[in-house]
Amino acid sequence: MSETPLVQVENLRISFPREDGTQHEAVAGVTFSAGREKLGIVGESGSGKSLSTRALMGVLPDYAHVSADRLQFRDTDLLTASPAEKRRLRGGRMGMILQDPKFSLNPVQRVGWQIVEAIRIGNPSIGRLAARNKAVDMLEAVHIRNPQQVFDLYPHQVSGGMGQRVMIAMMMAREPDILVADEPTSALDVTVRNQVLSIMEEMVTRRNAGLILISHDLKLISSFCDRVLVMYRGRIVESLTSGDLHKAQHPYTRGLIACLPSIDGPLDPLPVLKREESWAASETHHDPR
Amino acid sequence: MIRVENLTIRFGPATAVRDVSFSIAEGEAFGLVGESGSGKSTVLRTIMGLNSDWSGVITVDGKPVRQTGRKAFARLAQMVFQDPYASLHPRFAIGQIIAEPMKLHRMSGIEARTDSLLEMIGLDPSFRFRFPHELSGGQRQRVAIARALALEPRLLLLDEPTSALDVSIQAEILNLLNRLRHELKLTFLLVSHDLAVVSYMCDRLAIMRNAQMVEVLSREDLRQRNLKKAYSAELVQSSLVGAAFG
Repeated sequence: MSETPLVQVENLRISFPREDGTQHEAVAGVTFSAGREKLGIVGESGSGKSLSTRALMGVLPDYAHVSADRLQFRDTDLLTASPAEKRRLRGGRMGMILQDPKFSLNPVQRVGWQIVEAIRIGNPSIGRLAARNKAVDMLEAVHIRNPQQVFDLYPHQVSGGMGQRVMIAMMMAREPDILVADEPTSALDVTVRNQVLSIMEEMVTRRNAGLILISHDLKLISSFCDRVLVMYRGRIVESLTSGDLHKAQHPYTRGLIACLPSIDGPLDPLPVLKREESWAASETHHDPR
Repeated sequence: MIRVENLTIRFGPATAVRDVSFSIAEGEAFGLVGESGSGKSTVLRTIMGLNSDWSGVITVDGKPVRQTGRKAFARLAQMVFQDPYASLHPRFAIGQIIAEPMKLHRMSGIEARTDSLLEMIGLDPSFRFRFPHELSGGQRQRVAIARALALEPRLLLLDEPTSALDVSIQAEILNLLNRLRHELKLTFLLVSHDLAVVSYMCDRLAIMRNAQMVEVLSREDLRQRNLKKAYSAELVQSSLVGAAFG
């Protein structure tokens, strides 16, 4: 792609202090870039997929030790940017959606006003009424049929799928260049999951934004995203283009696919992933772009 | 093995399960599938005696559950919960956790049986002296299964036993459960939101929605899409990831 990527990450390492004073390296040299596309990051718990994007957002705790050769968002070098600069990017140019809307929304504020708050932080000169109207428009844009009523609901009064749509509306209200969604549908039922994903897709496509989708669900991610990075123990072991899942080379990726039961699959014992030390020791896979 | 007839369960003014009936033969694996709030876990917990406000008939091994004493019932049926992080006593060593039900039932040869249970679930006997926080999620779920099997029950009630685990670990646990079911001639009642898991594990299944049973299917019905209700078709369609975004 000729356009410069929105996000460039080179040799990102994140470590946490152990009790005995040594460091545990949770992300061990990750290199990737993301443009205005749908990039998926897949891996099991502890693979470092969430940490990598949190480092990008600058929302890791202070005791996490982050180093990288490059950590760049458009023209901003995130390694040298001041906290204030990074704060301006977050929520504005970079949005983030987490797994469970129950914990992301303020439980004691009506959902509509939470969107209004996001809008007014982005544009302090906007009037209260104008912000309210915009929030209602955003709710409508995420296919909420009765946005006026939903505006006045509290988070506990909306379902998980609707809560996640509210989160998408809130994040997209500021028209970010990139949206990071960390397991956005894992807490949702299957019939709602596809709907939320397609709304998210519609929002980022219409605004020409980039999307980084993190999930443990390889099949879901590979059918939804343009490209998929597979992470294992803090490294990217393979990157795949959408639809090329069957061409996966790395034994870890192949193992992950094989160990899933399917509705129409055989009833033989499921193949079990045999982890090899060499996977974690090998050089990290370089994102071909 | 289990017969449930016209089961209705209430939580105060709300009806969580409405008029549900099914039966499971000895040695069969039966699945309850549905989305959150459909009442599937509530059915399981009620069979186990964890809810009291219900009406209808539940018999296990031919006897109504209300007439079976708690201890006798514990020897007949045991449950494995969803979250292995929450279901093990954090300050009990693994050996104690597995031995506890046997102690309560004043069984003999507890130590030897604890070791053989550990072996059965594929953990080294040295795990007896470890604590839950030293174990991974998959290992903990194995321990929960060993504890459930300690009293040699004939029926296992499994409430989303793998949904808190990574897929590679899920495969190991499902294989273990299948092996144990054949070795010990167990009957399974498995609750899951994952149609793929249920299709892999269960001979028959019931689809639930909004506190009611939509339909009961055999695995063959499911696989040949022999579905009578529109909701079943919708659920199957949504579960076939990839089809949606082809």
